Amino acid sequence: MMSRMARFPGILCLGVVCGLAQQPNPKLAKDPGPFLPGFGAEQDRVPKTVAGPAPHLVDGRPDFGGNGAWFPGFNGNIAETKWKGIKSADRHVDVPFLPWTLKTFNERVENLSKDDPEARCLPVGVPRFMFDPYPFQMIQTADQVIFVFEGDNYLWRIVQIDPQGKHANDLKPTWLGDAVGHYEGDTLVVDVTGFNGLAWLDQAGHATSDKLHLTERYTRTDSMTLKYEVTIDDPGAYSKPWTAYNTVRWRPGMELMENICQEDEKSSRHMIGNVKK
Amino acid sequence: MKWCCLIIILAALRIDAQPHPDFSGVWLPGAVADIGLEGAVPFQPWARTKFQENSAAKQNDLDLRCLPPGVPRISFQARPFEIVQSSNRLLFLYEGGAHVWRQVWMDGRSHPQDPNPDWLGHSIGHWEGDTLVVDSVGFNDKTWLDDAGHPHTEQLHVIEKYTRTGPLAMKYEVVIDDPGAYTHSWTVGNSLSFLAGGRLEEDICLDKISK
Repeated sequence: MMSRMARFPGILCLGVVCGLAQQPNPKLAKDPGPFLPGFGAEQDRVPKTVAGPAPHLVDGRPDFGGNGAWFPGFNGNIAETKWKGIKSADRHVDVPFLPWTLKTFNERVENLSKDDPEARCLPVGVPRFMFDPYPFQMIQTADQVIFVFEGDNYLWRIVQIDPQGKHANDLKPTWLGDAVGHYEGDTLVVDVTGFNGLAWLDQAGHATSDKLHLTERYTRTDSMTLKYEVTIDDPGAYSKPWTAYNTVRWRPGMELMENICQEDEKSSRHMIGNVKK
Repeated sequence: MKWCCLIIILAALRIDAQPHPDFSGVWLPGAVADIGLEGAVPFQPWARTKFQENSAAKQNDLDLRCLPPGVPRISFQARPFEIVQSSNRLLFLYEGGAHVWRQVWMDGRSHPQDPNPDWLGHSIGHWEGDTLVVDSVGFNDKTWLDDAGHPHTEQLHVIEKYTRTGPLAMKYEVVIDDPGAYTHSWTVGNSLSFLAGGRLEEDICLDKISK
């Protein structure tokens, strides 16, 4: 649509002035369906461990750690309750796309996410790790929450705890952004900015710009459950802020294994998109 | 008397809460490109040949392809890392290399019988006085011991000793024991500087090569 309008600026002008000749927005791409028959069947199995109350640290802060790990499973689309035929985010969201992000999203769905940066071992980004099939752990110190991940190249992330919520000046654009957090009762609230605009919000392909600003809320509602809310405020990519939701389960006793994506990575060069036309 | 008891109790609690030195924070190793310069390296013949090959073919260095530098090489490169002390393990978060982390189990466990061959190995630690001793096995044979290209095999067994010698200084000593590559174990040292108030930055090696 953009290129046609660019070629015929007169039509664009007339359309805007008269309210005529407006092109309907392209439709949002649909779920392309499971990767393979039976994909993800094990993902939603109910944990055998009975949940207890949410644990707390000695000083009363919520405890996001313990003997185990958080395991999101594959939740491929942060704005749909089902994607690739299995459970995805907790809620459907009507995403307020800008034209370029809708176009980009549709292209990525159509070409089966062949240009996914994570498939090239680049960092998963935020909030995607809360929707991604790699376990992680949260380690809390007095002034930091450290996330360690099994996925990508055995990635880590630091959230600096600062009730004043101050980011450093002159942030360098990064994949994971500059994260500053504080506790609100039993919720860890993290403000993240300073992104490079290259990470995808999910495997499906919701795009970001370098104006991305996130507000994340982590609440351990019982020993086995982490509720996550993330507000995506990215005026470079979406017309207004929107919020995505997920629930991540605790896997008791799970320890993280070293996983180096870059080791012998040969997959991405064979990713050519959808050839079943 | 009451006050005296209280002080003793408080002191005991304090000792209990912090029984070991606090290494947490950001550290910067001194750059040592060739750990063989300190003394004669007890090469086996094939390892000497391999070292000479590696030194002459730096383009084969997997560090340049953004793979983890491995242990102990990562402690001889001038790139900051952060130590995090939690109840049952220490975490090492590395700014350089492949943006990887490493865990040192402090809960008394042993190494697994048949560990996966990893880039960073399987590490268990304990305190000997004020010295942290980290014992690591379970390495793959792909990493080099240093930038110069000292090779090793999957039999590599590394014992690292960290001793804080001042507020801003740590002595680092590492015993390299690899009967597959060296005739006997050998020891190398380095010094680490504490970066007070330092914060790690995100530095993604792949950003520089995957265009």
